[in-house]
Amino acid sequence: MFYFILKRLVQSVFVMLAVAFLAFSLFRFVGDPITQMTGVETSVEDQSRLRQELGLNDPFVLQFTRFTSDMLQGDFGFSFRTRQPVAQMITSRIPATLELGIVALIISLFVGIPAGVYTALRPRGVVTQAILMTTLVGVSIPTFVIGIMLIFLFGVQLGWLPTFGRGGTVQIGSWESSFFTLEGWRALILPAFTLGVYQLTLTMRLVRAEMMDVMRSDYIRFATARGVPMGRLYFRHALANTMVPVITIIGLQFGGVIAFSIVTESVFQWPGMGLLFLESIRFVDIPVMGVYLVVIAFFFVVVNLIVDLLYVAIDPRLRVKDVS
Amino acid sequence: MKKNVLRNSAVLGTALLFSAMGASAATFKWASNTDPQTMDPHAVNSAPVLSFLNNIYEGLVRRGEDMSVEPSLATSWEPLKGENGWRFHLRQNVSFQNGASFNAEDVMFSYQRASNEAADVRSWFSPVSQVRIVDEYTVDFVTKAPNPLFPDSIANFMILDKQWAQSNNAALPARDAENFASMNVNGTGPFVLSSRDPGVKTILTPHSGWWDTANHNVTEAIFTPIGNPATGIAALLSGEIDFIQPIPLQDVAQVEKRDGFKVLEGEETRVIMFGFGHEHDKLLYSSDVSDANPFSDPRVRLAAAHSIDIKSIDRVLFRGKIEAASQLVPADISGFSKKNTDRPAYDPDKARALLKEAGYPNGFSFGLKCPNDRYINDEALCRAAASMFSAVGLKAQLSTGPVRDYWPQLRKDDFDMYLLGWSPGTFDMEHPIRFLMHSQDNDKKLGSWNFGNYSNARVDELLPNIQQEIDPTVRQTMIDEVVSITQKEVAYIPLYTQPLIWAAKDNVQMTQRADNFFLLRWVKVN
Repeated sequence: MFYFILKRLVQSVFVMLAVAFLAFSLFRFVGDPITQMTGVETSVEDQSRLRQELGLNDPFVLQFTRFTSDMLQGDFGFSFRTRQPVAQMITSRIPATLELGIVALIISLFVGIPAGVYTALRPRGVVTQAILMTTLVGVSIPTFVIGIMLIFLFGVQLGWLPTFGRGGTVQIGSWESSFFTLEGWRALILPAFTLGVYQLTLTMRLVRAEMMDVMRSDYIRFATARGVPMGRLYFRHALANTMVPVITIIGLQFGGVIAFSIVTESVFQWPGMGLLFLESIRFVDIPVMGVYLVVIAFFFVVVNLIVDLLYVAIDPRLRVKDVS
Repeated sequence: MKKNVLRNSAVLGTALLFSAMGASAATFKWASNTDPQTMDPHAVNSAPVLSFLNNIYEGLVRRGEDMSVEPSLATSWEPLKGENGWRFHLRQNVSFQNGASFNAEDVMFSYQRASNEAADVRSWFSPVSQVRIVDEYTVDFVTKAPNPLFPDSIANFMILDKQWAQSNNAALPARDAENFASMNVNGTGPFVLSSRDPGVKTILTPHSGWWDTANHNVTEAIFTPIGNPATGIAALLSGEIDFIQPIPLQDVAQVEKRDGFKVLEGEETRVIMFGFGHEHDKLLYSSDVSDANPFSDPRVRLAAAHSIDIKSIDRVLFRGKIEAASQLVPADISGFSKKNTDRPAYDPDKARALLKEAGYPNGFSFGLKCPNDRYINDEALCRAAASMFSAVGLKAQLSTGPVRDYWPQLRKDDFDMYLLGWSPGTFDMEHPIRFLMHSQDNDKKLGSWNFGNYSNARVDELLPNIQQEIDPTVRQTMIDEVVSITQKEVAYIPLYTQPLIWAAKDNVQMTQRADNFFLLRWVKVN
């Protein structure tokens, strides 16, 4: 087991290197950082001196090597835009994104799984049809439109929930959390729902399809014939067997939720990593963009690792294999 | 027990009465689309930074509500006798926010800091040859040539405390790393930075020891950058913020029809124009003319100018909020040429005739470059203009892109025609002549935004004279000549002055300055 985790972590280094390489080869097409760093009155001479100082005239391979070797030594560099240390900028934004992603995930699971089970058991019911229709609409509308609609309904028209930002946060060590104040939770609801709605639909449909499949299998018929109580039958016997594919997809999706919370974060001015990345693109802040993409790659690797470990926890057959 | 309750309610009642009567205390929340990149006043010469820091730091002179220059840390100034330059008499009994007192040493130090290679604002001091301290409250700025506009040109030159900067290792602005002054401040201005979370939230509180009388009633000002315009409007309409700058044109009606909100409209000092690749040998993006550059012929440029229907653009794209421009500055900027206020009228027939005369009876195709995130409705404007050009035979191949990629393209001469907006940093006509009309000259640092390298020997000759002329009438005559030359040669097609659109709650009073600066010292929350 330990060897397995170690192997995955070593692999992750290569994944991150590959991502950094791809990212760096694309940065030259994003634009010129110097014109974004300087004012209109800055002379051409001063601009080219700054370009030289920041090493932007160096060949691509040299810039990439410098970036990776600095990073391996724990030096993440300084932002072109704010001149802050990049490591500090990114770590200060991680809590916002993670908390948003986790709440979105929880919403999608706690609504998606029961809804999936229900719609599988009553495939022709009116409620089922209604749920399926609503969620279809939910995934068809782009995230930013859903976000704006929710903001205007609950924030502007009804005035129930805040329209932007994180509301009240509590500092726990270096972690800034929204979980401990009412204001924080109020600010979380809309963006978390917006971010989770696609995930929710996916979870629900997946659980539904798997569930309908499992319900037709022999062991469920036998269990029904034996008189196993309905609740135990559905949730212990049937649902557990649908979980392996569901966890795979949800796990992979969660990486995506973290990585692509950019849109939701921008609509709700949610001060997470995605918003930072968006600002960095605008200002061609190469150091921040580079580190962000590497961090996201690392998230994907970790999420996949967790998914693999969950398989083992859920499916006893895999545990047997591991021992052999 | 009962007594206590009574007394408490009496106190509460008085407090309520006071807050209702005086409206003297208020938290003010505002948003803008860009967070100031730094708190260092010399590190980045950009409007979001300078506008924000004008609340905290002050210069020798400052601009008032109507943009006029008025005394700030200097009480008066006069030209030096016997040499070129200006003498500034400094205000006494001014203290920095950390309590240190302000004197000539701080001005000297700030000059050295701001004119250093590491500073982005150093171009302001290129006319300066020497600065010397005369006494504790008198400073001389010696210039290489007579420079009547020098005091106006340093309104955003902000003064730091020498002791504070040096003892915190911030003697120079940070270029590629952070220093103390990028996150901390110590100015003489009306507000103090009380907390800063870059990109998230910045809080300012009044500076109790400010030398000037505070006319605002803000006790705490909270700034949040909101990048997404729809989110910004929602934040205003839900009452979470009191003021936002700017708002998109299409949201004006939505804000206006709601009770309790107002839209503040004005003209920015920014003129939007088309520029040409004057010195190009041939067109880069043409499918039919490959061996010549038709735009080097003034008749073709005039034809392009005559094909633009500015009234339709105003009505359709800008809801009647733009002012057509005849030259590269709007009418209220000093040096505006009142003798040259005519602009080429919309006249497609004349445009076609001019093209025929120039040898292009069927027109030709060319590439038009535009940014899509820099000016209000820039992409829509270019689409409209492209179809207007096409109507007379100038078949424009439009390509648009984000501004971060746009300037590098223009610098590489990768265009046939392009869109540009220009706001004169000194609020004088000399500014666009220096940057847009003088030939490109990197040694003299002139013409650095004259991408197409429009070049006219007479304009080049007049610029230094305009910069040095003390007599306003003589100066204006020279400016009139430049404007007349560039109009005749159609160096650019000036289109219009960009509108300035802010939105606020009804109970907030503020000043909308034409340079799009927002200053807290003019805010009153009722």
